[in-house]
Amino acid sequence: MGLLRKIRTTGRVAEPAPPRPEGQVQPSARQLGGSVQVRCVDAGSCNGCEIEIAAAFNPVYDAERYGARQVASPRHADVALVTGPVTRNMAAPLRRTVAAMGEPRLVVAVGDCAINCGEFAGGYGVEGAVADVVPVDLAVPGCPPEPEAIVAALRRVTGR
Amino acid sequence: MSAIPAALATATALAATGALAGLGLPYRLRVAVVGVLTAGVGVAGGTAGVAALGGSRWRAVYSGLVPLAGAHVAVDALAGLFMAVAGAVLAAVAVYGIGYATGHGAHGLGSRTAQAVLPVFALSLVLVPVAAAVSTFLLLWELMALTSLFLVLAEHRGGHLPLGRSRERGSPSVRQAGTWYAVMTHLGLVLLLAGFALFAAQAGGETFATLRAGAHGIPPTVRGLVFVLVALAFTSKAGAVPLHAWLPRAHPEAPSPVSALMSAAMVNLGIYGLVRTGLDLLGGGPAWWWLGLLAMGGASAVYGILQAAMASDLKRLLAYSTSENMGLVLTGVGASGLFAAHGDKPLAALALAAALLHVVNHAAFKALLFCAAGSVLRATGLRDLDRLGGLRARMPVTAALFALAALGAVALPPGNGFISEWLLLQSLVHGLAVPGVAVAVVLPLSVALIALSTGIAAAVFVKALGVGFFARPRDERAAAAREAPPLMLAGMTLLAAGVVALALVPGLLGHGLDRAVGAVGLPGSGALTWGGLGVRLTDISARLEPLWVVAALTAAIVLATGLPRLYGRRRRRVNARLWDCGGGAPTPRMTYTATSFAEPLQRVFDDVLAPEQDVDVTPVRESAYLVERVRFQHRVPDRIEHRLYEPVLRALASTGRAARRLAGGSVHLYLGYGFAGLVVLLLALVVGW
Repeated sequence: MGLLRKIRTTGRVAEPAPPRPEGQVQPSARQLGGSVQVRCVDAGSCNGCEIEIAAAFNPVYDAERYGARQVASPRHADVALVTGPVTRNMAAPLRRTVAAMGEPRLVVAVGDCAINCGEFAGGYGVEGAVADVVPVDLAVPGCPPEPEAIVAALRRVTGR
Repeated sequence: MSAIPAALATATALAATGALAGLGLPYRLRVAVVGVLTAGVGVAGGTAGVAALGGSRWRAVYSGLVPLAGAHVAVDALAGLFMAVAGAVLAAVAVYGIGYATGHGAHGLGSRTAQAVLPVFALSLVLVPVAAAVSTFLLLWELMALTSLFLVLAEHRGGHLPLGRSRERGSPSVRQAGTWYAVMTHLGLVLLLAGFALFAAQAGGETFATLRAGAHGIPPTVRGLVFVLVALAFTSKAGAVPLHAWLPRAHPEAPSPVSALMSAAMVNLGIYGLVRTGLDLLGGGPAWWWLGLLAMGGASAVYGILQAAMASDLKRLLAYSTSENMGLVLTGVGASGLFAAHGDKPLAALALAAALLHVVNHAAFKALLFCAAGSVLRATGLRDLDRLGGLRARMPVTAALFALAALGAVALPPGNGFISEWLLLQSLVHGLAVPGVAVAVVLPLSVALIALSTGIAAAVFVKALGVGFFARPRDERAAAAREAPPLMLAGMTLLAAGVVALALVPGLLGHGLDRAVGAVGLPGSGALTWGGLGVRLTDISARLEPLWVVAALTAAIVLATGLPRLYGRRRRRVNARLWDCGGGAPTPRMTYTATSFAEPLQRVFDDVLAPEQDVDVTPVRESAYLVERVRFQHRVPDRIEHRLYEPVLRALASTGRAARRLAGGSVHLYLGYGFAGLVVLLLALVVGW
């Protein structure tokens, strides 16, 4: 009964949907028809971006209402959400993950590190930014980016 | 004058020639000549059996053959059924055996002893059902036990190794299996001897005709005692729980053709003896006999298949599956006796027909399974499923034949085991009309146990086929496997033809089965008719046409696989690398093994199986916190064997040690024993008379 009471007393916590973000919907995402399966890849992040991604999919920001959903295998995924500077050890797995996804596929680089290696640029273990390893379609700047920014980027893929 | 005596005389002559050939011929000729002659014994015995199933009967007395009593022989349809099964299995397995023993040197199955004994074993399998007197029966029974014991021990110098590998020095497991088998089969003989001696003394004669006539004059307690003694002996031969302990040891250690013969022909004779004695000679009995058999059958079915599910040794798995199938047959025989005891003869006939049909089906698929396991063993030297794998590509014909036989063994629709289990379930379900509290409790329980054992059997054979033949090889020996030689494939193909025929047109057996059921005094054709292609149960208005089932399944499979292929052709296909979580390529070490496949089942049946595991952590010398080595050991022991046999064996051993004190080595002591014995005997005579 505790669960039912919790549901009743909590009510709806999702924030009202902000207006549709500016910018064109990605052309290759049109085929997806508004339903996007997302696979997260941590290519060497400090885990800050992971916390924000988790927040983007929680009940408050609720990215799922716009048609984005997290999955556990690149075989099921349309979008790879890549965080962190790409370390040497993660370069090959990242390439393989993207190669394992079906067409059409998109890569979203989340966070400053993913865009330009951020704080870790020039580190001995860093291979480079995500764009150096796999082609990137969308970037979400910020260190770490706010959940709204991540949701807005995903909405540009789903078009909803 | 029928064909039976001529065929049996031919079989005997061929077996005698075969035994001499095995002794006398050099190795090169020996295997081929003995194999052909043994196949001849099978064909001749099978012919006699088929003639008996066709309705001819034969009886004779050879007074000079066995001292004092003379050899009494008789063949009726029930004997004919078991002769036909043994003969058919023998013919196919003998052909297989030529290929198996060729090219492996004059040891193991190719040795002089084994090749001389093999035709005699074959003959005894055919002749045991022919015996029509207690002395003749026991002689042939013991001949069968002894010859099979010789054959079990054939590979005592080490397992079957692939060509070009050095032999191990001796195999203790074979010797242990031989000891278990010898002791248990002779305990069975003692029980049989006691039971039949009591029976013959009460009935006033030892021929089966006298026993049959005198059975009704025997007091009920004595009848019950005779049945219990004889039933214990025969169920032990059939490998029923709790007397099964020899079976999972002896069947895996015997050379594979011998395993096939033992599992497909020899254990059947336990069922034959039970049906012959219980239903025919004793003429049925009170309900408690049959309830006991039902309990034993249900326990064997479930326990046997559970142990098979845990086994990772391929041949041990098959041996336990034999125990399961004999449990199902015992359930049928028990149900038949129970219905007969309550006077419902048509239903009793149906249950017995189901049991006998399952004997035939089991013989066909189990002989094929053991032969396929034998060709795997011959090609790889491995019986451990955890190390096999990848054989589908390397041994395609063997894998296909194993799959065919496994389909029969899981008792699912297109397989042959399905038909007999369907009949068995029909008879049990409709037996609820029979009055009695025990019946109302036991029959639904039996139905549930059969359903459970069938479900686990599916898991067992998915494991055997999927882990053993599919996926990737987990051992270099499995990776280097090559297809079996043509003669072995030919023998297996003969068996496969039998399996397919039994699955598609079991109606061919119909009248023979009716006559066999009729031979024990139950009306043969009352309960089920074999019209056209299918089987119809007249009283119950149920029918089954296996050919249509197969046609419907084939159509469904073709539709289900063909339509997506037609539809999917329009799309572009991309070859992609296997998804390996971004890490390295998967190795064979990562694949599912037989043990891991069985693990969930083992958890479910944890209380029944009581697995033992042992973790042994060795720390580094300098620090107790750093681990040098972790040893993990996991074992699923046969619990019944553990609990039931080991205390008895321990007690026997301690008695033996205590008795050693009696023989101190002094001659005076021994003379004293003799004197004391004489005095006691004389005193007893004086006092007693």
